[in-house]
Amino acid sequence: MSVQFLVIMVPVVLGMMGFAVDLGRLYLIRGELNQAASAMAMAAASQLNGTIGATDLATTAANSTLDTNQYNFGSVTIGQGTALLESTAPSPAFFDTVANALAAVGQTTPASTADGTTARHVTMNLSADAPLLFWSLLTLGQSRKTSIAAAAVAGVSAPVCTACGIDPYAIAAVDSTEPINFGFTPGNLYTLGFNCNGNPALLPGTTAPALKYLIIDRYNTGIPFDETQQLFRTGSQGLLPSTTPGLACSTIGNMEAVWATTITPTLNCAAGTPNPSVQNAMCGLSARMTDPTQFNNCNLVTDIATLATAYTADTDVQTETDYTVYTGNNRRVLTLPIVDALSTAGTMTVLGFRQFLLQPTTNFATASSNNPSDGDSRFVAMYLGVVAPVKQGSIGPACGVTSGPGKVVLHQ
Amino acid sequence: MRKPFSQRGNIILEASLLIPLIVLLLVGMSQIAKITYTYFTLRKTVYSVATYLSSRQGVNFCDAGDPTVTEAITFGLTGTTDNSQPVFVTGLTPDMIQVSALRFDPVAQTVGQCSCSITGCDLAAGGTAPDYITVSIPNGYQIPVRIPMLPTMDPILLKPTVKVPYGGT
Repeated sequence: MSVQFLVIMVPVVLGMMGFAVDLGRLYLIRGELNQAASAMAMAAASQLNGTIGATDLATTAANSTLDTNQYNFGSVTIGQGTALLESTAPSPAFFDTVANALAAVGQTTPASTADGTTARHVTMNLSADAPLLFWSLLTLGQSRKTSIAAAAVAGVSAPVCTACGIDPYAIAAVDSTEPINFGFTPGNLYTLGFNCNGNPALLPGTTAPALKYLIIDRYNTGIPFDETQQLFRTGSQGLLPSTTPGLACSTIGNMEAVWATTITPTLNCAAGTPNPSVQNAMCGLSARMTDPTQFNNCNLVTDIATLATAYTADTDVQTETDYTVYTGNNRRVLTLPIVDALSTAGTMTVLGFRQFLLQPTTNFATASSNNPSDGDSRFVAMYLGVVAPVKQGSIGPACGVTSGPGKVVLHQ
Repeated sequence: MRKPFSQRGNIILEASLLIPLIVLLLVGMSQIAKITYTYFTLRKTVYSVATYLSSRQGVNFCDAGDPTVTEAITFGLTGTTDNSQPVFVTGLTPDMIQVSALRFDPVAQTVGQCSCSITGCDLAAGGTAPDYITVSIPNGYQIPVRIPMLPTMDPILLKPTVKVPYGGT
């Protein structure tokens, strides 16, 4: 009896173990595919900046992760496959709402319902063959493989309450009761000039009123860069990264103080000579468009020649009248804190964050836009509203805003 | 009904031939399962390190002792940032995990290693944040394969690697 029992049970036990081993491998491969899909979706979503070319940028960014995020014990590149194992990595699909993006999960070739100007969410579907070791002994598994699918949905979140790495040029809302655009008109070119006694003159082609700005204080004595370098770097890339959120970020509802040396002394508009600290920040801003070392005034920044090498110009430095045709790498997209009112003496309350496109200077010899030597430190920027996600930030705690840039989040 | 003595001998003979094969098969399957499970855990570990780091501010990937990198690796290894729990994978140590920064070249449209310089990702020197990070176990995690009755086999090296965009979630 015991021998008969053994004869029956041995194949059963072996079969069950084989089943478990193959199932474990399928589970592993599904995990690898899920991680790959998540990375692709996140990379793609981070490129959604509201331009026509955003979907191409997003596809390139997604595909850039494929070479490393391989599957089947990290041995097979997704989308390439082997003689036995096939896999597909279709282009990401783009959607304007998260509901549409989630509905496309699991579809073999989901069709995008949004173009680059409206896309806010990405669905990434991957499928790959997984090899079968023990199941292939059964009739069911004679192909020695089975298909595994994975999907991820990433997109731009609800408006962040804390945005990190933004550009610290605080401007006052034209209409603080208007929650969508704060009184600014999308597509309009504005002159932004440093806060001075009077009004900065409008630069050619820009719409009144000229927008005065102040640089919010993020001077950090704890890093090995002097103030001139910090101002340059802040102008060139936004708030410097820091593990202290108060230094690297700005929060809606918080009070912001002005960077002290930028307002001493306070200048009259059209005085002809800019404040040196503001000028250093302007040198950084100019680096987004051109080589700042061509401006003599920028030699106030310590070791400007070396520092400037870290900040290359945007890949698209054309004057844009239509933001959707912009093809750059977002160096020119400024995310600015909008405050209730500018104040050099007290504090300014952050109402929200809005985005602008820095416009180039067409003739550095004569034009004053973006020129660090301009007395009012003026530059031209197109108001965009909310187009691109911020690199980092946090959504909570609730700050009561319904509009503003979000950050890239993984929905599924 | 009791089998004749001669038949009982046959059964013993067949069993003595088959049982080693069955044991071999069982142990082999358990070894495959062990390798699969370990690889899966390692992959989750490196992915956890990568996603933890990708959403942190001010990480200097060129500084081997950067506290955020150390924190992320500890989180990946133990599930805690203060090392208060044992490691998920025995023998996996922080120095086995490597974090690399990558930069996207918008002109060439390629992703390459981000140099540790002012033009690269060395924040201490004035560099800027990377576009992607990879987390890997470059020298591999050795997993011994022990199957009785067979000669000692070389350990298998598991080298999971993940790449995620820097920023987001």
